[in-house]
Formats: sequence, structure tokens, C-alpha cells
Amino acid sequence: MASIVTTSLVKEYPGGVRGVNGLSLTVNDGEFFALLGPSGCGKTTLLRTIAGLEKTTSGRINIGDRDVTDLEPGKRKIAMVFQDYALFPHMSVADNISYPLKIQKMRKTDRLEEAEKVGDGLSLQGLMERRPGQLSGGQQQRVALGRAIASRPEVFLFDEPLSNLDARLRLEARTFLKKLQIDLGITTVFVTHDQAEALALADRIAIMKAGTLQQLGSPREVFQRPANIFVASFVGSTPMNLLPATVQDGRVLVSGTSLPLPASAEGLVAEGQSVTWGARPEYLHMSTTETADAFLGGVTISENLGASVLLSISVGESNVRVVVGEDQEPSMGTSVWVKVEPRRSLLFDSDGDRIGK
Amino acid sequence: MSEIDADAAASQKLRKSERVKRKGNRTSEDGDSAGLGKGRAAAFVAPAMLLIAIFLVFPALWTLYLGLTNYRLTGFAATHPRFVGIDNYVNALTDSRFLNSLGLTLLFVLGSAVIGQSVLGFAIAWMMTRVRKGVKSVVEFFVLLAWIVPSSVSTFLWLALLDRNNGTLNTLFGTGTTAWLLQFPMQSIIVFNTWVGTAFSMLLFSSALGAVPPTQLESSKIAGAGAWAQLRDVIFPHIRSHVLTNTILITLWTFNTFTPYLLTAGGPDHRSEILPVYIYRLALSEGSLGQGSAVSLIMILINLVIALVYLRILREKKS
Ligand SMILES: Nc1ncnc2c1ncn2[C@@H]1O[C@H](COP(=O)(O)OP(=O)(O)OP(=O)(O)O)[C@@H](O)[C@H]1O
Ligand SMILES: [Mg+2]
Repeated sequence: MASIVTTSLVKEYPGGVRGVNGLSLTVNDGEFFALLGPSGCGKTTLLRTIAGLEKTTSGRINIGDRDVTDLEPGKRKIAMVFQDYALFPHMSVADNISYPLKIQKMRKTDRLEEAEKVGDGLSLQGLMERRPGQLSGGQQQRVALGRAIASRPEVFLFDEPLSNLDARLRLEARTFLKKLQIDLGITTVFVTHDQAEALALADRIAIMKAGTLQQLGSPREVFQRPANIFVASFVGSTPMNLLPATVQDGRVLVSGTSLPLPASAEGLVAEGQSVTWGARPEYLHMSTTETADAFLGGVTISENLGASVLLSISVGESNVRVVVGEDQEPSMGTSVWVKVEPRRSLLFDSDGDRIGK
Repeated sequence: MSEIDADAAASQKLRKSERVKRKGNRTSEDGDSAGLGKGRAAAFVAPAMLLIAIFLVFPALWTLYLGLTNYRLTGFAATHPRFVGIDNYVNALTDSRFLNSLGLTLLFVLGSAVIGQSVLGFAIAWMMTRVRKGVKSVVEFFVLLAWIVPSSVSTFLWLALLDRNNGTLNTLFGTGTTAWLLQFPMQSIIVFNTWVGTAFSMLLFSSALGAVPPTQLESSKIAGAGAWAQLRDVIFPHIRSHVLTNTILITLWTFNTFTPYLLTAGGPDHRSEILPVYIYRLALSEGSLGQGSAVSLIMILINLVIALVYLRILREKKS
């Protein structure tokens, strides 16, 4: 078990593209850590640099108390699960799982016994003699996990381990993965571009953009208090309401409606300052009776989310989205009031950074 | 109205029967996937068959016939060849010169093709996966050059390289007046043929290596596999069929190549007289056309055996 620390890590590809650009972060011992970000932001690059598959351009990487920056991948005590699983097609499941032990020169009977044990833990009984080509996607994924577990690493690195599974299986595998990680307690870094997956699995999430760190925090912190507009719009299954606003008389004027200043921004804004006001649709409340400190507008679109409904309400020039319970759904065109909790709304400055803690 | 209906029905029936016919044509029972029909298909193949018959089958049969006579290039036997039965074959198989030649050929094939070209070609291809693109192009260019230069030109280069007086090799290594082609004739033609043919193996293995999934290599690297373990566990299982194809092809080519004649002419004292050279000297220099034909036929048979073994292994792999 070990922590991972990167210090001003830079990975520059030939041609000058910086996949990772000066990243410093700490993954705590035993933590389930997600790297989240849009396509091309450098998640895979960071993971592969930690694994040693890419050479570090500058900066350091520590695993536990070892500086592994210049170590071969095989000496870093890591295990990686690739998006395509990278199982060896000509080897049986048992041989695949026990492959790291073969490299460590363990005796054949011992390592097959070990593979059996690992396979049992992953519900692979009865499949041990098959070839990877004779397995379903979910089974292949578990074999890949088995191979990672068998090597007894200090760190797991997963590159989009769930993305090759269909939607249903993915949810199952997600729960399975989380349980496995809790049971093994091995420090795990996993890459995903699916924010829901990151929120569901991770103890902490690092959100990246163009090779740089945007925010690092628990799923709750990232969801409730995004550090900037980029994170605010990337995280969350329904996009955050982000509207231009001005500070006026100690309140904010958003689309012609005067709202109380968000709690976190109190005392940190100047009169007349242009800001962006933000609140998640889940944190807004709709009412059909007149309410103070609320937007007033007509319902234009309603989208069914299952147990809840996402409403779009036109307020002046803008659109405000709000999530309401299924039995609260108003008919189209109805005028409603949308109230904002000051505790749950945020202000972002003109650079897009959040104002206040 | 009813007329039109009848018309429509008739044409529909026609279309249907057409469809049935076409469908019938397309069934895989007679293997006629192009739907040509046997007659037309035969007509398409006929010219090729004719060419094969004229230029391959006929000479082979002619050789078979000549091998049973005492036909010579000059003299009485040239005008009045006599039928001698299998004497030529008995002579060949008991002749120490033939056996020597066969042994040299095996050595030549093993040394320059199976070991030389395959191993060197693979080694270069493998190294090229680890270098920068520019380096790769330059190396590949030079290796390819050896392959595409006409053999008359490349043998001339090698004569200059190996020359006793002021040859490049002697000058470079200060080996005095070593007459490489006289003192080491087999070694010389083995190295020469390796040099000529490595490009093919290199290209074939290059493309094979390109198809090895990189994540599998990386998986084994992460597990701690060294270069040798990676070769054994990931690369080799992926390129097995390429190794087989390559080995068979270069075995056949090397077995039949005549180019070494341009370097050593089989000498000195038959010490580099591989089979094609032996046949040439026997039939055309010494004029024993009948005997030469017999040896040719033996050589064709050896070729056939190699090809059959190859086809057999390939078919087993497919099933
Ligand atoms: N081998 C390479 N050579 C040059 N540039 C590369 C290479 N691999 C990745 N890049 C670039 O580095 C940046 C980061 O790529 P990376 O693969 O890490 O993205 P990612 O966050 O994993 O994206 P995705 O979610 O699509 O997998 C991209 O701009 C990409 O074009
Ligand atoms: Mg990626």
C-alpha cells in the first residue's frame, strides 16, 4: 500500500504537445481516486506516466517513499488495467491471471493455485481453462482485474475500465469495482470521462483540463462547490445554471431578478461588479405561489428524468433549469416561482473562478 | 383490367423464376459465387492454364524425358540420344559430387535463409520499433537497396568488397591479401545471400510487429517482463504464422537461387557448388544434359515436398 505523489509533473510528446502540464497532486494511501476530464485533457497521459509507460519530461513521481520517476514500469509495483483489457489471447484465463507470477518466477503449481484463488474472488470459477476470446466483455474485464490483483501491487491504475461494457453491465461492474477496492484497500487511480462514474466511485476526484488540474476534492465538494465555471459545467448530470449577473445593493441582479448574495461570496464582491451566478437545477425549488427572492417565469420545456422532471423556465432573456419531483410537474406555460437557497448558489468572477470558499 | 392483371401475374412469375434461377446459381454447392456459370469460368481460366502448360508443365515433362536418356550437348549422344532408364538417377544418388552439393545446399539454406535472413530480418525489424522514424526510414532504405539492386550489380559490388588485392574488406580490417572467395567460399556466399535477402524478412516482420497490440506489450512490461519474456509471451505468439510463411518462402527461394554462381562459380574445387550451380555446370558446362535433367527433377521434387509441407501446416492452422 502506498500513496502517490506527483510534483510539477510534465509530459511533453514529441512535437511539443503537453499531455500533462505541471501537475502536482497527492493520492492518499488506500484511496479510490478518479481522474476526470473531457477527451484529450491528458488523463491517460498522466496515468501512463505514473505507470512508467511514458517517460517523464520533468518533475517527480513518488510511490510510497520511493522515487519512481526513472524506474522501469515493471519495477514500480503497479498494476494497470487497460481499456481493451490487453489479455493475452493465446493463454488460458488461469495463465493470464497468473502471468505476473510467471514473470516473478513462481513455480507453476503455486501460481495456478494463486490464480484459482483470485479467480474465485472474481466469480470466474469454471472459466479458468477458457481463452479470452471465449469470454463475454464483463468476464474479460474481471480477468484483467484478476491479473492486476495477482501481481500484488501497491497501486492499481485503471484506464476507463468500464467503458467497453454496455450500460447495464457497467452499473453492475461499478458496484463490483467499488466493493473490490474497499476489500483490498489498494490505492487506486482510475481514469474516466464519465462524471457520474467518478462521483459514484471515487473517494476523491481530480478534474483536469488541457493537462492542468482544475479542482481536487471529494465528490461532494466537486459537485457542490466547483472551483470554476469549467468544473461547474462538466460535473453533474444536468448542467448547472450559469447566468451573467451584477452586484447591486449587496444583492445580485440576475436576469432582472434581484436575489440574495450567495453565502460564500458575502463581503468579497464590490458594488457593480460583473459576475456569473450559478446554481444546480437540483438545488432550486419551484413553487406555484408567489415567493420572495425567486425567479418568476413560464415553463417552456419539461424533460422526464424518471423519478424527477427537469423544467426549463424562461426568465427574462435567459433560461433557468430546475429539477422537481414527478408529482410536482406543472403544465406547460404555467407561471412559476423558482427559489434559490443562498447557501446553494455560487458566484464566479470574470476569470471564471469561484468567489469565496 | 383482367388482361393487365394477367400480365402482371405472368411477369411476376417470370421474375420469381429468374430469382430462383439466380439463387440457384448462387448456392455454394457448386462453389460458383461469382455466378459466371462453368463454361464462362473455364473460358476465363483457359489462357492462364495454356501458359502454365506451355511454360511449366511441358518443360517439366521434357526434363523428365531427358532425364531418362543419355542426351548430351555435343557429340554423338546429342544427335542420337539413347534411352537409359533410371541410370541417371542411380548415378546421381550415388555420386559423391551430388551428395556433396546437396549437403552444401542444406548448409546454404540453413545458414543464409533460416538463420541469416530470418534472424537478422527479425532483429532489424524489432530494433526499428524502438528507434525514431527517421532512423527507421534510413535503415529500411539501405536494407531494401540490397534487395532491389540487380544481382549482377550486387555481385560485382561484393567482388570488389572481397577482392584479394585492395578489396574493401581487406583494406578495412587489415587482413592482408585474404582471398575470401577462395578461402571461405561457403561462408562468403552465405553472408552474401543473407545480405541480399534480409530485406524481405525485415519487411514481413515489420508489418507483423506492427500488428502486435501495444497494450499487450505494455501489460507484460508492467508485469516486469524483460525483452526476452516479451518476445516469448507476447510477440512470438502473435507472429507465429508470419514466421512460418517467411521461413517457407525464403527456404524455397534460397534453395533455388543461382546468384552465388556469379561470385564463386561453385568453386574452388566444388566447395560452394550448391544444387542450382551443380546442375548448371553439369548440364551446360560439361554438357551432360540427361544427367543434369535427372538432378533437376530431383530438385523439383524436393521443392514440391517443401511446398506440400507448407500447405499442410497452413491448412492445419486454419481448421
Ligand atoms: N503519442 C502521442 N503523441 C503526441 N500527442 C499525444 C500522444 N498521445 C496523446 N497525445 C495528446 O496528448 C493530449 C492528451 O491525450 P490523452 O490521451 O492523455 O487524453 P485523455 O484525457 O486520455 O482523452 P480521452 O478521454 O479521449 O482518452 C491530447 O491532446 C493528445 O492529442
Ligand atoms: Mg484516454
